[in-house]
Amino acid sequence: MRVSASPAQTAPRSAAPPGRVEIEASCRAPLLVLFGGGVLWLFIASLFALVASLKFHNPRFMADEPYWTYGRVHAAHLTALLYGFAVPVALGVGLWLLCRLGRAPLAAPYVAALGVVIWNCAVTIGVIGILCGGGTGFESFEMPGYVAGLLLAGYLLIALCGAVTFHLRAAGRLYPSQWFVLGALFWFPWIFSTAAMMLLFMPVRGVVQASVAWWFAHNFNTVFLGFAGLASIFYFIPKLLGRPLHSYHLAGLAFWTLALFGSWGGIPDGAPVPAWIVSMGVVGTVLTAVPLLAVALNFCHTVRQDLNTLDANPALRFTYVGLIFWLIAGAHQIVGVLPHVSELTNFTWFAVAQKELFQYGFFTLTMFGAIYYITPLLLDKERPPVWAAILVKWHFWLTFIGVLISYLALAVGGVGQGIYLSDAKYLFPQIMKATLVTLRVSTLGDLLIVAGTICFLLNFALLLAQSAYRCWADYGAGARKERR
Amino acid sequence: MNSGPLLFLGLFVTMACSWLTFVMGPQLQIGGLTTTTNIIVGAIGQDYPHTEPGAAHQGAEVYRANGCASCHTQQVRPAALGSDINRGWGIRRSTAYDYLFQEPVMLGSLRVGPDLANAGRRMDAAAVLTRLYEPRAITPGSVMPPYRFLFDTRKIHGAPSPDALQIPPQFGPPPGYEIVPRAEALALAAYVTSLHQDGYLFEAPPPPGKTNAPPSIVPVAPTNAPAK
Repeated sequence: MRVSASPAQTAPRSAAPPGRVEIEASCRAPLLVLFGGGVLWLFIASLFALVASLKFHNPRFMADEPYWTYGRVHAAHLTALLYGFAVPVALGVGLWLLCRLGRAPLAAPYVAALGVVIWNCAVTIGVIGILCGGGTGFESFEMPGYVAGLLLAGYLLIALCGAVTFHLRAAGRLYPSQWFVLGALFWFPWIFSTAAMMLLFMPVRGVVQASVAWWFAHNFNTVFLGFAGLASIFYFIPKLLGRPLHSYHLAGLAFWTLALFGSWGGIPDGAPVPAWIVSMGVVGTVLTAVPLLAVALNFCHTVRQDLNTLDANPALRFTYVGLIFWLIAGAHQIVGVLPHVSELTNFTWFAVAQKELFQYGFFTLTMFGAIYYITPLLLDKERPPVWAAILVKWHFWLTFIGVLISYLALAVGGVGQGIYLSDAKYLFPQIMKATLVTLRVSTLGDLLIVAGTICFLLNFALLLAQSAYRCWADYGAGARKERR
Repeated sequence: MNSGPLLFLGLFVTMACSWLTFVMGPQLQIGGLTTTTNIIVGAIGQDYPHTEPGAAHQGAEVYRANGCASCHTQQVRPAALGSDINRGWGIRRSTAYDYLFQEPVMLGSLRVGPDLANAGRRMDAAAVLTRLYEPRAITPGSVMPPYRFLFDTRKIHGAPSPDALQIPPQFGPPPGYEIVPRAEALALAAYVTSLHQDGYLFEAPPPPGKTNAPPSIVPVAPTNAPAK
């Protein structure tokens, strides 16, 4: 049986339903703060990445101050990217999807906005804490313990607004994006509070710490970011193509198998933990082929030959490329855990390349697409100005090429590093020198990403400024009328 | 899937599966691990691992604060995987016992620099300090950043400090000056030199033909044989 569904069924496309203006108005304050903060953090994160990357050209670059040493800048980069950009933007897009698909205005928008402010304060303190030497030493969970409570409080305020909005939705069938958003909303507090309790406040003993840290990092990427990105992909591709999603059931299969198998894994082969943990992780990661295939099949049938429409809409182009990067990153992850491959690629740049593609390629591109669609609606702008279109184009190509260069350089470098490392006759310094070439090439990718992010930042800031100016002018005109 | 509560229940069960397997499972199995006396070769009858001196614990904090784990792993893989043991990064694979007294446990995930699981068996404090001040003094072309903020450059008044770094003159301070490690540098060196994973355990027995122990002590337990 094949049942098709589309965002068009739950949220009529053309004739604006009465609630739509109200929905945009309710989302405006929290979403603009979420997106604005996210854009700024993304810019900061890409600057940190550039500094870290430049250290491979000259290790003495910014090495004399403790704040800018490689280990701290690298951790600050990941934190700014994951907690400054990824989580808030995922939440923003998620809230908007819940409102739009549930045909309900955002519940308690000012509570959500308060949550955003708390969250961003916490991330700021956390990043400064890392630069001052307070990092935890656990990858993807670097922020010092003293901000964990603030982060969780801010998150819960935002997520609760989302949950209440979902509860107050108009009756009707749930669209797959709603499952994905709910899954992401639910996943993060669980993994984050587990990691905070078991790593920082009541640390478990020995390698169980490593085990918890691997579990957190893997779930954060594969499930939380994966769900948030897929929610946006499942909404925007059918909606912007103006055609129904091929199969509702295939989407369900992808959702449940990704929740189940995507949450297993992340443990390197040969790790000093009982072997069954490593094996379970490998099995889970290999089985993520199921959601990968289900999503690929679903969108192959949804998109069909409409690839030429990609140029028509920047939001669609970003989302579509994000989907392709998700598929490649997923395949990369599966290949990387296969027994003979992982023997070579463990502890090399190969895994870093996968994360780069997943976080920068899949997640940020998907979110850019969503932001380009949602922001003009929030600002009551149906038709973006000309300069915006040019900036969007530059943003797309700079980021796309930058991600591709970084990914390919790191992946090739990682395989080479792995092959040399597996043979003890090559000395370690020799291997390091050999991989240095690819690391330096990846700096070019980082540079392009920074340039792309500047276009994005500029576009967003100009749009906001223009809108603020218009509001101010309108307000002035209104005041003059009243005086008369 | 149109019911919110059912969706939530499904997510809860899925999440709980993952949590029970990858968080609770390891905690139940090895969370209560204590020191072992099951050493096959070496200090038989003694507890393993030993506790490390206080300076090493302070050094672990410096290691954490500066993100050393972003470039250095601390885990030796089994002989069947990669060349870790052939490179001399350890005599055996790492086991859960080796990390009992580490806080936090920083296994690392990327080898930009060499593995440090047994760094204490390869380097003394002076070598570590020299590498921290100027890595290229020991490994030409190294990409490790220098950590000069862990050192003071002082003018020599009278006799030079006994702690002063012995470093090749082209990397050294101007004449009349000396480089003295700060407390953090000394703690970090104490930590790095304390890193070692010794003793063949039941979990990580010696490779065949490499033991010098009396044959009677080596247990013939097929379940403990290294994976081939």
